Amino acid sequence: MANNHAGLPSPTLGDLVLPKLYSLFGIANKDSLYGAVAEFEDGPQLVAAGAKVKEAGYTKLDALSPFPVHGIDDAIGVPRSILGFIVICIAFCGTFAAFLLMWYTGAYSGPQIPGCELVGLCSYPLVIGGKPLFHWVFGLPIMFELSILFAAFASVIGMFALNGLPRMHHPTFNYSGIHRATDDRFMLVVEASDPKFKAEETLELLRSLGAVHAELVEDK
Amino acid sequence: MAGHHHDHAVDSYQLDPGKWSTGRNVLAFIALLSWALLGFGYFNDHERFFQSYLVAFCMGTFIILGATFFVYVQYLTGSAWSVPIRRILENIMVSIPIGALLFIPIAFAGVDDLYKWAKPEAISDALIQAKKAFLNVGGFRLRAGILFALWSIWAFAIWTSSTKQDKTKSIEQMKTSSRWAAPGLLVVCLTGCLAAFEWIMSLDPHWYSTIFGLYCMAGGCVAMWATVTLISLGFRSNGVLANTITVEHYHDLGKWMFALSVFWTYLAASQYLLIWYASIPEETIYYKERMHGSWAWVSVLLPIGRFVVPFALLVGRSAKRNLKVLRIAAIWILFMEFVDMYWMIMPNFHEYAHGFHLHWLDLAALGGVFSVYGLVFWSRFKSNSLVVEGDMRFEQGLHFHQV
Repeated sequence: MANNHAGLPSPTLGDLVLPKLYSLFGIANKDSLYGAVAEFEDGPQLVAAGAKVKEAGYTKLDALSPFPVHGIDDAIGVPRSILGFIVICIAFCGTFAAFLLMWYTGAYSGPQIPGCELVGLCSYPLVIGGKPLFHWVFGLPIMFELSILFAAFASVIGMFALNGLPRMHHPTFNYSGIHRATDDRFMLVVEASDPKFKAEETLELLRSLGAVHAELVEDK
Repeated sequence: MAGHHHDHAVDSYQLDPGKWSTGRNVLAFIALLSWALLGFGYFNDHERFFQSYLVAFCMGTFIILGATFFVYVQYLTGSAWSVPIRRILENIMVSIPIGALLFIPIAFAGVDDLYKWAKPEAISDALIQAKKAFLNVGGFRLRAGILFALWSIWAFAIWTSSTKQDKTKSIEQMKTSSRWAAPGLLVVCLTGCLAAFEWIMSLDPHWYSTIFGLYCMAGGCVAMWATVTLISLGFRSNGVLANTITVEHYHDLGKWMFALSVFWTYLAASQYLLIWYASIPEETIYYKERMHGSWAWVSVLLPIGRFVVPFALLVGRSAKRNLKVLRIAAIWILFMEFVDMYWMIMPNFHEYAHGFHLHWLDLAALGGVFSVYGLVFWSRFKSNSLVVEGDMRFEQGLHFHQV
């Protein structure tokens, strides 16, 4: 592929897609450091340690716990999810879609859109019960229900997308005691991409905060 | 939770006697002024007196029924978030007995001024005659008496047990309250709807809507949360419970105002939709009357003021955590509850059939009803704790955090 103006090779499609595929199927991609994982004995310890690590200037933090730990989002500086905003936007799309659907199928009398019969969406103006062909009042239930339906889909699909799910592998699975993160241990992760990350220093900090065990994990 | 760090300065759970007296004096002053004006208004224009008085009485009473409903709900769901504000709700709930006294002018003096079915002309109205078994003055008074008796029995049972718990700090009172709360929920829903049918819907004895009772209850509930928000904010600006009712609790008060505004809209839209769709003259008359003259503007204001404005104001998380926004939203919601009551009641009277006509008695009646309910509410704070400090979930409720 041609070089771009900066003289760097442009990424190929393979460069973009392959790492995702590798991580999806858990295939070792590149042998680089993912970060440091430290193990704590209970939730409050995890929150306290997370807060200290954040105080020390680290920004790329994550926490793994067997159940939701109150206050961990604030402690490690996880920003609020934008899911709510996405949901309300999609919900209003649902309101509008219902409005359009009811108007088009019930009141539109122009030429049919070619191929409309294939999806069962041809306009069919018909006077029922002496009511107008379209009126916002009888559109209300449909607009309401479709807003809810769209909102429900947006929350579920949006939640999966924002969490990067589904995926079959995650680098933190390389931590030796990772199985206890779903049982009785609480893990704090500092990613290597953090500008403050220095392997030994970071491990030392984590140990000094009361971690029962801490180790570096590879991104493979 | 252990390990959490909380900088909770400890509040006094007993209202300072000086502050209590100031509150009582303000309420007593409003009461004296309003009732003097109401007395003057009664002799000046007794029809308008009863009309304004009914609007204010219904608004106040449905707010109390909203509090009653939600006290029961808090017990039955075992909510921790509401513990720091539950005493405010309980004290609103237990001011209901005085409502029986406030109802006396309507039941014994105003009934034939207000209600078409109680006028002598009703004898020639076949539809009213057919409903005579229900719509008669004796039954009207008797049923109101039963309603106030039921509400008072339940209110006192729970309130007494809750204040007893302040001292005993035992789980026994919580169990007692929960046992009263479960049947109470059924009682307050059915009787609240009945009250709406009797006092408001029967103003037009030909018209009926089965959802009308819930519509009034939903309006009362949303106005009740607005009232609780304003009382809490009033406490806060006077340094009372400022560290107990935190922004985490205000956030939930905002959620309730938001959710119940949407619920009110759901009911209002359902009622309108069904009547619009069936298009039966005896049902559509309700909306037709409210499309005349200046009433049409009020009819347009209602969905905007009770749905669009609270929705837009309170939809965001940061808005619900902003006490200034909450204060504005709460004041607006209370104003709209008044507009709604006014819109339901006033067009029934032939002299206002072609448009609304504001009167100083509207304000005097609001002052009269709310100051009397307010004085009873306030009297409960004199010697009782400001919070349900004996509740098992009290600590949990104090340190409650939104997820």
